[in-house]
Amino acid sequence: MKLPYSELPAAPDAAFPERTHVFRPIVALQLEKDGRQVVVFAIVDSGADQCVFPASIAEALGISIPNASASAFSGSSDNPQVAYFEQVQATILPMDGPNIEPDQGSLTFPLFAGFCETLEHVGMGLLGQEDFFSRFTIQFSAAQNYFEIR
Amino acid sequence: MVPSDLTAVLKNAPIGEWIALSFARDRIVATARKLSDARKAAIDAGEPRPIMMKLPPVGILIL
Repeated sequence: MKLPYSELPAAPDAAFPERTHVFRPIVALQLEKDGRQVVVFAIVDSGADQCVFPASIAEALGISIPNASASAFSGSSDNPQVAYFEQVQATILPMDGPNIEPDQGSLTFPLFAGFCETLEHVGMGLLGQEDFFSRFTIQFSAAQNYFEIR
Repeated sequence: MVPSDLTAVLKNAPIGEWIALSFARDRIVATARKLSDARKAAIDAGEPRPIMMKLPPVGILIL
């Protein structure tokens, strides 16, 4: 599956006064648990150890958190965060668009997904090493504005 | 490949709220403070498979 980077709005700041947008490798990801489905955006993030999502997505899937499968992680600060994990089914959906190859199939895989309150402000999932990069060959071609998952 | 430009469709999107995008990613179908409310409103509006997302607060990027 060959997908374009997505261009999202971003605000300038002191370090990047000309910034108006950022490019991210984003997929439309359907998560499913016990017949409940939700489609979200997720960033293909090679720096993430696990696959984690905002807590609201757990609620949409009928997953009750906190649960017994807790795991602590941290980002750029040393403040520990806790994600609660549950087995779900994930499907990367093909996107339609003028720049996208037509008739690309979807990719479905089992995913041990974490859900945490501290990702709520991000509003997207992170597809990390375990259960995602470990399953697929992923090639980033940022200079050509695309990435490939196979 | 040309990037998928979401800047126009998200230009006036509310920061910090859940956004239900059309699956074609060409319009915002609904927004709400709760994901479940935004998703239900989108489905009720005829979008069977909305893509749910948020825009982070201004000045916050993902590391």
